[in-house]
Amino acid sequence: MGSDKLYIISVYSENQVGLLSSISNIFTRRNINIESLTVFPSEFPGVHHFTFRVFTDERSASQVVKFIEKKVDVLRAFWFECDEMNASEHETVSAFITGRTIN
Amino acid sequence: MGDKFTGAELLIKALIDQGVDTVFGYPGGSIINVYDEMYKYEDRLKHVLVRHEQGAIHAAQGYARASSRPGVVIVTSGPGATNVITGVADAMVDSTPVVIITGQVSNDALGTDAFQEADVVGMTGPIDKWTCQIRRPEDVAPMVAKAFYIATTGRPGPVVLDFTKDAQRGLAEYKYTRCDFIRSYVPVPKPDMSAIDEAVRMINAAERPFVVYGQGVVLSHAEEALKAFLKKGGIPAGSTMLGLSALPSDFPYYMGMVGMHGNLAPNLMTQHCDLLIAVGMRFSDRVTGIVSEYAKEAKKIHIDIDETEIGKIVPVDLGLLGDAAEVLTLLTERMNFSFHDEWAVSARASNEVEDRKVIAPEVRPQEGPLKMGETVDVVIEGSGGEAVIVTDVGQNQLMGARYSRFRHTRSFITSGGLGTMGFGLPAAIGAKTACPEREVCLFVGDGGIQMTLQELGTILQEHTAVKIVLLNNNWLGNVRQWQELFFGKRYSQTRMLNPDYSLIARAYGIRYRAVDTREELREAVREMLDSQEAFLLDAHVVEEGMVYPMTPVGKRLDQIMLNEKEWYSDGE
Repeated sequence: MGSDKLYIISVYSENQVGLLSSISNIFTRRNINIESLTVFPSEFPGVHHFTFRVFTDERSASQVVKFIEKKVDVLRAFWFECDEMNASEHETVSAFITGRTIN
Repeated sequence: MGDKFTGAELLIKALIDQGVDTVFGYPGGSIINVYDEMYKYEDRLKHVLVRHEQGAIHAAQGYARASSRPGVVIVTSGPGATNVITGVADAMVDSTPVVIITGQVSNDALGTDAFQEADVVGMTGPIDKWTCQIRRPEDVAPMVAKAFYIATTGRPGPVVLDFTKDAQRGLAEYKYTRCDFIRSYVPVPKPDMSAIDEAVRMINAAERPFVVYGQGVVLSHAEEALKAFLKKGGIPAGSTMLGLSALPSDFPYYMGMVGMHGNLAPNLMTQHCDLLIAVGMRFSDRVTGIVSEYAKEAKKIHIDIDETEIGKIVPVDLGLLGDAAEVLTLLTERMNFSFHDEWAVSARASNEVEDRKVIAPEVRPQEGPLKMGETVDVVIEGSGGEAVIVTDVGQNQLMGARYSRFRHTRSFITSGGLGTMGFGLPAAIGAKTACPEREVCLFVGDGGIQMTLQELGTILQEHTAVKIVLLNNNWLGNVRQWQELFFGKRYSQTRMLNPDYSLIARAYGIRYRAVDTREELREAVREMLDSQEAFLLDAHVVEEGMVYPMTPVGKRLDQIMLNEKEWYSDGE
């Protein structure tokens, strides 16, 4: 497909066994190959950060992110083109976590 | 130090504290501790013993759909768990709240190919709303609480708890607190008020507005909010198959069912409206016809609780994320009183065509063999529209959907998105278990009933008084219909030899009557409905029956086959 580009899908989640496999299934179900995958603790305590690099188009990338966010244990997910920087990601997750804390 | 209980007993206590009084299940080696503890809670927790785990989950789905209470399933590991997989996928796509507890081998045996071990977390994760493996007894109560919260809130769905032997056998104290918050999970998004205002402007400006609603209306208890919205806006509405019964069939603004085998009027209105308001539905390909031609003249508003649905299939001008009842109420408060009588009247003109070309020959035939549609019609008439109608999948489902009439919500239970043959019989058992005071009638074909026929044993044991209407045509009728229309009448593997259902019914102690002719149909249906026990009415219907009207795959919603020879032409 001519319109395919390299995208980064960035996911912040609670640590839940089995989540990685069901997230990667969201890609495979749509016939999207995962070019690379990293998993590491995020800057937020207890929150994991996954990044997927995938070749796909913009519509698929945005849909995949919505389906990933639908997973109960996912806090937030983002997509952007590989050569872009997403500077607002940290602030968005930070605001989400602050807004979702029981006082 | 408080008293300690086994994890197995903690599960039972947590279920009871969650308000569960009925579970559907089947014992086995890896769940035997739970069944052992269940023994002493018999007076507080009713267990319905099914004959196959698939029956348990479909029964739980029927239970949930009829009552709005979550269905609960308890099965063993390995094959017990894999046997519920079809129902998990079905409950996911049809948004049905079900909590499934699967036994699992002990913690140290995980991953060793132990006896009856299967990777339940890996298998169910992609097809359910949430999966969790419980490995410690102290996690039982909190995970049960979380499971019910997730299954029943937002867009409901199935949740799987994979319960290892160690967690069942180990000891922990009991404290149950219902869950009402998960940091990463926002079940009901707050409506965006600027989007509400924009929607109100669009609705006030519309000349030919039309609502298509789905099961979301039922799930959010938005039936009254929808009625108020339609009345104030003077807006006609069509239902998807899963939305059926959310509005009473005689509601003045109700135009019928949309989709492949829907009514003419709502399908034509979809194509001709200038504003389409979709409420709690997901633009299934069975609803839209060819997507690129769907409602092309209309601006579109989509109200849904699930963000992934908005824009997934049909691009919309405005997405309104939120709970259907809340969003509809906000819209109704803000929009103008209006009426669009001419629009509705003009669309109703096609009712006459549908009645003459489709309904009359199907429902009021004067001669020839018994028809599926007339059988459904007589059952519905006999039950006064009061019954919960359950269907299997195929022609029985389409006829049940087309010719049932409803007075109450939650009265039509079918497998929509997944289209699971074999769903009907156990789902009817579940519906009757949930609502014993209501009549429950199942329409099922001779193909589908044989997929879960063993559940007649559950009826035998539980005395579940379901009324089974077998639309028996000796074919896999819906596939046969497609073969007749689109595959040159090559009836590949759709001819089906049937057992003698009178002997089957007798073996299970279920009352039985066969009906072959129009003359005896009414009386036979009366006998079935008057029965206080389960009843199998074996209706020998026309072998080569067809479901019309039909928008074939790849056609526009207004390209409609009325019968073998005629297509509806919309004033062209």
